[in-house]
Amino acid sequence: MIELKNVIKRYESLAAVDDVSFSVKTGEYFALLGPNGAGKTTIVKMLLDFTRPTSGSLSLNGTPSSQAECRRSIGYLAENNHIPPSLSGWQYLLRCAELLDMNRSEATDQCRRIVELIGMQGRESTKVGTYSKGMVQRFGLGAALMGNPKLLILDEPTSGLDPIGIREIRQLLESLKGEGMTIFLNSHLLSEVEKICDTAAIINRGKLLVKDSISAIVKDGETLEDVFVRLVKG
Amino acid sequence: MKTSKSLPPIARITKYTLIDEVQQRSFIVMFLICALCVFLLRGCFQGSYMVNGQALDAGTIVRTLSKATFHVIGAGVMVIAALLSMRIFRRERNEGMQSCILSKPIARWQYVIGKILGLWVLSALFMFILHSIIFLITSISLKVFMPEYLAASLICSINLLFVVIAVLLLSLLMPDIVAFLCVLGVGIVGFVADGIAAASHSQIAQAILQQPTGQSQSDLTWWKVVYVVWPKLLGVQQLASSLIESGSSNGFGPIYPLINVLAYCLILGALLFKRFRNEDIV
Repeated sequence: MIELKNVIKRYESLAAVDDVSFSVKTGEYFALLGPNGAGKTTIVKMLLDFTRPTSGSLSLNGTPSSQAECRRSIGYLAENNHIPPSLSGWQYLLRCAELLDMNRSEATDQCRRIVELIGMQGRESTKVGTYSKGMVQRFGLGAALMGNPKLLILDEPTSGLDPIGIREIRQLLESLKGEGMTIFLNSHLLSEVEKICDTAAIINRGKLLVKDSISAIVKDGETLEDVFVRLVKG
Repeated sequence: MKTSKSLPPIARITKYTLIDEVQQRSFIVMFLICALCVFLLRGCFQGSYMVNGQALDAGTIVRTLSKATFHVIGAGVMVIAALLSMRIFRRERNEGMQSCILSKPIARWQYVIGKILGLWVLSALFMFILHSIIFLITSISLKVFMPEYLAASLICSINLLFVVIAVLLLSLLMPDIVAFLCVLGVGIVGFVADGIAAASHSQIAQAILQQPTGQSQSDLTWWKVVYVVWPKLLGVQQLASSLIESGSSNGFGPIYPLINVLAYCLILGALLFKRFRNEDIV
């Protein structure tokens, strides 16, 4: 599904991503972990062609990530997701559906399904400017789920959410497991990752430290947090 | 096949750009003020004017005033188009719409074309409505029909395309306000230079210039080259207004300004695509 080969991204002399290679299989729930500034978001941006690698290649289902068409099967939720305050949640979802080439009736059906899925019935018609951060995040996740994507890229999906919101997002992601969707999750919340994901990679200062199944990474008597701290602190 | 698949996203982005701009309160206020100002001009058309002690006939007054207002509206809407364009990329970035659109199967060139078309159509409509108010005033109140006035408005919209593309490009390279001021500066310099050139072709200026500087006029100096290649925004307006002056059946002014501005649109458009292709999406 996702393949990174010797990817390097430099910002002048700083290597944000330094020779990273790994792959994520179809249907896998994958977490990319690392401290702030490790290069996680840069990898996500390269997968979406928001920024270009200095060298190396990234592909999605064998297609270079630079091709717009390969984003048809991707849903993306940005870190600190924003929605134009002049739109209502419904209008935002409708735009996302239309941008996936859906006609008006298809788009309306999809939006109705998504509003139900994210539990925002009754609030979809009000302006986004009146929403709480958690509600914006839910609509962002709803937009990412639009069109039943095969790959869901979530960059800190629980950022700014309260414990109830975090739990709801986790339950939502767990409920998608049966649908064969691949999830690429960037998160700081290691306890949540441990509950949701099958595999994980840990990067620090742009370098890949480990990529394996969670059960293989976490040894007996340890938690993912212990492993993370041990690897990152060296 | 590929082209037919590419058009709907461009049309959609154009539509969203139009809707988002029209919903802005500042745009509505700006439009209402402009429309009111143009409407208030109707009093000028009904006055009596004397030149060299002779009263001008109604037809001459209407054509002369219409031409003057045509230029004022054309120049004013260019400033408005620059104001609308200068903040569009930043606003889309801050409101998350840019990353939302580009995370969908939409190429960057489609996004940029959609934005250009949206802003161009909006500012051209803005200008067309203001010109239509003048057209309606002259048609209904003064019974002087000038359909060529509306055709001239459409030709003049080429200037707006130039302004939109130039501001969008510069807003990627420098702060928005500086981009706006740069394009405004290009327009002002072009207008002043064209104004001086037009004045120098007047009979009085010719008579003054002919005596001492006959030889130097034929020399190809650097400023003449700069003048010739400088964006001919006033030239396009004059070309368009030549329709009002002489009516649709008569002449159409020299076409060079139109080619000049269209060439700039193509060159700046290519630079904009190139710059945006390498832009990091936040």
